[in-house]
Amino acid sequence: MDFAVSLERVSKTYRQRQRSARIGDVFRNLVRPKIVAIEALRGIDLSVRRGEIVAYAGPNGAGKSTTIKLLASLLAPDSGTVRVLGMDPVRDRVRYVGRIGVVFGQRTELWWDHPVAASFDWKRVVWNIPRERYARMLGLVRELLGLDEFMNTLARELSLGQRMRADLGMALLHEPEVLFLDEPTLGLDVLARRNILRFVREVNRERELTVVVTSHDMDELEQLAGRIVMLHRGSIAFDGDFAQLRRQASDRRVLLLETPPGVEPLLEGAERVGGENGRHEFVYDASRVPLANLLEQAAAQTQILDVETHRAPIDTLVADLYERWQRERA
Amino acid sequence: MAADGRVSRLRRMLALWGLYARMDVLWIARGLKASATFYFGDLLLGLSGVTWSFLLAQRFGGIGEWSPHQIVFMLGLALVVRGSLEIGFSLNVAFPSRRIGRGQLDHMLLMPQPLWMTIATDGFCPASGSGQLLAGSAVMAWALRALGLPIGAGWLALLVLHVASAAVIMLSFAYLWASLAFVAPRAAEEINSSTMRMLEQLKPFPLDGVGFGLTLGLMSVVPAGFLAWLPSRVLLGLEPSPSAWLWTPLAALGFAALATGVFRAGLGRYARTGSTRYLSHGFRR
Repeated sequence: MDFAVSLERVSKTYRQRQRSARIGDVFRNLVRPKIVAIEALRGIDLSVRRGEIVAYAGPNGAGKSTTIKLLASLLAPDSGTVRVLGMDPVRDRVRYVGRIGVVFGQRTELWWDHPVAASFDWKRVVWNIPRERYARMLGLVRELLGLDEFMNTLARELSLGQRMRADLGMALLHEPEVLFLDEPTLGLDVLARRNILRFVREVNRERELTVVVTSHDMDELEQLAGRIVMLHRGSIAFDGDFAQLRRQASDRRVLLLETPPGVEPLLEGAERVGGENGRHEFVYDASRVPLANLLEQAAAQTQILDVETHRAPIDTLVADLYERWQRERA
Repeated sequence: MAADGRVSRLRRMLALWGLYARMDVLWIARGLKASATFYFGDLLLGLSGVTWSFLLAQRFGGIGEWSPHQIVFMLGLALVVRGSLEIGFSLNVAFPSRRIGRGQLDHMLLMPQPLWMTIATDGFCPASGSGQLLAGSAVMAWALRALGLPIGAGWLALLVLHVASAAVIMLSFAYLWASLAFVAPRAAEEINSSTMRMLEQLKPFPLDGVGFGLTLGLMSVVPAGFLAWLPSRVLLGLEPSPSAWLWTPLAALGFAALATGVFRAGLGRYARTGSTRYLSHGFRR
């Protein structure tokens, strides 16, 4: 198997100084500070095939950003090996960063007081991009990301969505083989988000670009990636596709029933979460309770005028999953 | 093979300097009012930093053994040294504690070139950073004319050598202190401003007549004496020792080696701990 990214038994622990709020502890904080070890990653194994898009998710503090920093050559692991495109990101940094692209949603690579076009030109020279490749990639990102409208605008005058599009376009100018995206759509509106997702899918399809993307937005990750890796307290808690994730998180679905007003049907195996004037909303676990069973119960209690059922949003499922993990740990 | 590597590195650095020079000129041309304000503000700041010792020299007909014109020469040289740093290492390259403390070293590490190359080229601002160099050159030329010193190619080479050495010492001093930011990014973020200010305030004074201990301190712990005083003594022919022309360049090598060692150790720590904070627009104009 041709892997672009491979992490083997990678661990990373941070040491965090604890500061007491008591004035009496001031001296002790200085002389013998309390240091707490925080295990950001605990021996994780992860492989990503060339051309694959992998969503990397997990609750806050799970170790997502640490992983992206390890992959971007900005951090070295305490133990284990990180290999991307056959290289060690920290040891082979100069060669390595020329073959990857990195976008941090909260950071910008653009020059603040220069127009976007100047930042792109800066990238061409610093990354030593051949003119032909630069012209080809520039044409591609301009078209797909609609950059023409603000190529000559100063970076500091761009909206967040425009800035993100420009950063993403810039990250691809040298035609990287692997792209790391750390919360690339943070704070963007729906349209900007959709454009970015469409763009990433398109370059992945056309150029076989390997993408590792982190986000808290599960719907977004589901639209983008075929595979999701979920971290929980530094360990991989799930690695599979979204259908498997749904099954693991319980196949939670929503059932909407319409009945004559004044009746409130009670369904065993389903929880009533809302409704009024003859409309009732239930949630149930489809892997445990068949829909037919619920409808049978409802029909026995009242007349059913309409039925609607749909899957619970992936965000809800994942929130349930995080909650379950926390309960299990507690 | 090694020579080929050196040539290609040099070619690359020339391309990078060309790029940053172009960007600097474009930055000025884009907002003439803002850049003129920045330019003259910087110039005034430089001049005001050396004015007090000039006024003292004028009032008392010199300082110690130094005549007013020799003092003016020294002040011009101090401005030229500072101006060289402004030209070569603007945009917080000479204030690395800001880049480290604000998490922006990451940007430098994501560039596909050795870090030393980024440091050597990233802050090149030959247009917007030239104010102090031009002013210093004019001041020095005026003093030289008044002093009637014979200027030849050898003297000019000595001047360039001493300006470059003093600039290296200043930069090394900045990187030595900035390395604290690897350990305490927030606390040490602005440390370069204070250390540079200390150097700026001490450099326009001749150290003749100062006690041995203090002179030693000002040539080592706070190397202000290497920035204008000792180079001026050499260039003005006040230093009797025939090997005096070597002292500042040798000190520059020593400080550079020390700063490189300490900064590299800090980088090793950075690779282990990373950056815990980030400010989005701290270093790029």
